[in-house]
Amino acid sequence: MSKNREFGTIFKPGLWDFIILNEYKLGRMTPKTPTFRLAPWKWFTMIWMTVVLVAGFAISIPRIPILEESARNLFLHVPMWFTMMAMFAVGFFFSVKFLMSESLHDDEKASAATMVGIVFGVCGLLTGSLWARFTWGAWWILSEPKMNLAAMSMLLFVAYFLLRSAFDDPKIRARISAIYNVFAVTSVPFLLYVIPRQLPSLHPGAEGNPAFSEITAPELRYIFYPAIIGFILVAMWLFTLTLRVRRVADSVDPHGERSTGKEV
Amino acid sequence: MTQQVDTLTASYGDKWEGVTTTAGDPTLETESVFVQMMSSNDLWPVVLGVSLIIWFVLLFFVLRLERRLQQAEASTHSISESSTGSTTTSNSSTSPESSSS
Repeated sequence: MSKNREFGTIFKPGLWDFIILNEYKLGRMTPKTPTFRLAPWKWFTMIWMTVVLVAGFAISIPRIPILEESARNLFLHVPMWFTMMAMFAVGFFFSVKFLMSESLHDDEKASAATMVGIVFGVCGLLTGSLWARFTWGAWWILSEPKMNLAAMSMLLFVAYFLLRSAFDDPKIRARISAIYNVFAVTSVPFLLYVIPRQLPSLHPGAEGNPAFSEITAPELRYIFYPAIIGFILVAMWLFTLTLRVRRVADSVDPHGERSTGKEV
Repeated sequence: MTQQVDTLTASYGDKWEGVTTTAGDPTLETESVFVQMMSSNDLWPVVLGVSLIIWFVLLFFVLRLERRLQQAEASTHSISESSTGSTTTSNSSTSPESSSS
């Protein structure tokens, strides 16, 4: 008993972290394997999205000239952009929260939400490009403002991560990237909605070419709204996974490059 | 005055023209339901099938990541418990002898 206490006072916890971690790595110690559990909302997301996917292809939709069966892309392309906006809004919220609280956990959440938002934005660009090939005849139209500004808004957020990688000090990195994120998120509505609607465009939403509106068939709405909910749930799942991976990485290597999980 | 030529009807007809069947029947009626379906333009079940495969593969990787994360979280939790216990308590489970055994 006293011997143990002696060891505890002689060796610092950091050394024991190192020793025990290596025991795990060498396989001499096996961690207690927890039973695999999934939160109910994640089960719900899996079932919900599967139903949306099946129903999206199986329902009969009105035959619209030019669009034809590609109209079903409405269930994928538009919800992806909505999800991107939702995740950027989450990132914006945590960036503002960081600027008030100065807690690096908030910066971590802002970064994770923005990363997931970019994933959905890129998927939105890809599905949009595919749709353009079918309906407009080209994968990318350089004179099309919506496409170009959507790509530009993506690049704004790629720059967010480049900016983050430029600073070693977690506090400075968090503060500057939070300010940049506030600027980037507030510019997205203008780039994606305001400016394209002022310019001649092939994309729905321009003059004489209504977007999702009262003329949209109700069958499309039955899948469209659930698809938005499903994609946002998937994004939230990815967001929580990203955060958890980073926290595990931080706890294994607290002094590594990824040290933003700790207060400085 | 330009004359409009219909180039779409033949290309987007209900059946693919010129398809060769095993029985030499150009109408495909002697073929199986699967071949008849795959030879038509009504291929939404194929698109749905491919999309579902992609979705389930993505789910498989996400669930695998979930499982591994839970294990990693349990490991790091037990590591932090062990390291804290070694300095604050004299519990035998966190002693250097038992941790290295």
